[in-house]
Amino acid sequence: MLEANAKAKLGHTPGALELSEETRDRLAELHALSKKAEAGDRDARKELRRLVRASSPEVIGRASDIGRRAGQTLARTAAGGDPLTEEALYAKLDAMRAEIAGEDPTPLEVLLTERVVSLWMLTTLLETLLATQYRRNVHDGPKRSSPSYILQQSRILDGATRRYLAAIRELARVRKLEATAPPVQVNTQVNVLGG
Amino acid sequence: MAWEKRKRGGRYYTRSRRSPKDGRVLREYVGTGPLAEIVAEEDRTKRELEEAEREREKAELERLEALIAPVLELSEAAEILAHAHLIAAGYHRHKGEYRRARGER
Repeated sequence: MLEANAKAKLGHTPGALELSEETRDRLAELHALSKKAEAGDRDARKELRRLVRASSPEVIGRASDIGRRAGQTLARTAAGGDPLTEEALYAKLDAMRAEIAGEDPTPLEVLLTERVVSLWMLTTLLETLLATQYRRNVHDGPKRSSPSYILQQSRILDGATRRYLAAIRELARVRKLEATAPPVQVNTQVNVLGG
Repeated sequence: MAWEKRKRGGRYYTRSRRSPKDGRVLREYVGTGPLAEIVAEEDRTKRELEEAEREREKAELERLEALIAPVLELSEAAEILAHAHLIAAGYHRHKGEYRRARGER
C-alpha cells in the first residue's frame, strides 16, 4: 500500500544519512492509513493501530538515528575543523536532548526531541553562514556575494526556522494529547545520551 | 559586449547594459584601437570572474542542500509518525487542531 506522494514528500537524500527504502515504505503506509482513518474508515484505524504497534518502534529508532547523525554532521560543519568547538557543540546537543526529552520519554518523544535538536543545529548553522555573508559584503567590497545567493540562503534559513518552530509545537502537542489519550503501546529502546 | 564592424573598415568596441530607469537596453560605444582592446580584455576577465563566482555559489548551495536534506527527511518522518500515533490513539484533525474522535475508545 505505497503512496507515491507520501514517498515523494519524504524526498530522496543520497548517501549514508538517509532512511532505507523499507523505512520509507512503512512511513508511506502509515501516512496513507492515517489519511483513511481520519476520513472515517474504521478498518483503516484498526489497521493503523496494528501497524503503529508493529512497525513504528523500528521506524522511530531508525529515524532517530538518522536525526542524531545528521545533527552531528551539522555540528562538525559548524565547527569548521576546530575540534574544541566540535566537542562543545556535541555536548550542547546532548544537553539539549536530555533537557527537552525529560525523564522517561516515550520513543515518539525521543524522535520529536531529535527533530527539535537537529533543526536547532541547522538554524544555528544557517544563521552563522548568513551572518558571515553579510560581514563579507560589508568588509570585503569586491568579493561580495551576489544578492541572489544571499536571498537563496535566507530562504533556506526561513524554511528551517519555520520547521524548527513547528517541531517545538508538535512535541508540545503530542505530550499534551498523549497525556490524555489511551496509550498505543510501543516498545523500543533509543539511547538519549549515546554518541 | 561586442565588436562592431564598420563599413569603412575596422572594429568598434561596444557595451550593452540595461537602463536602471526603464530597463531598456542601452548600447555604450567605447572605442576602437589598442585602448578598446584593453577595455575589452578587462571586461572579459571581469565576466569570467563573475561566472566563476556564480559557479562557486551554485556549488556552495548544492553542498548546503545536501547537508540539510537528512534533517528535512527526519522532520517529515517525525511528522508522519506523530500524526499516525495520534490518529491511532483516537484523535482526528479539525482545522489544524487535534480532537478526540467520537465513539473512539
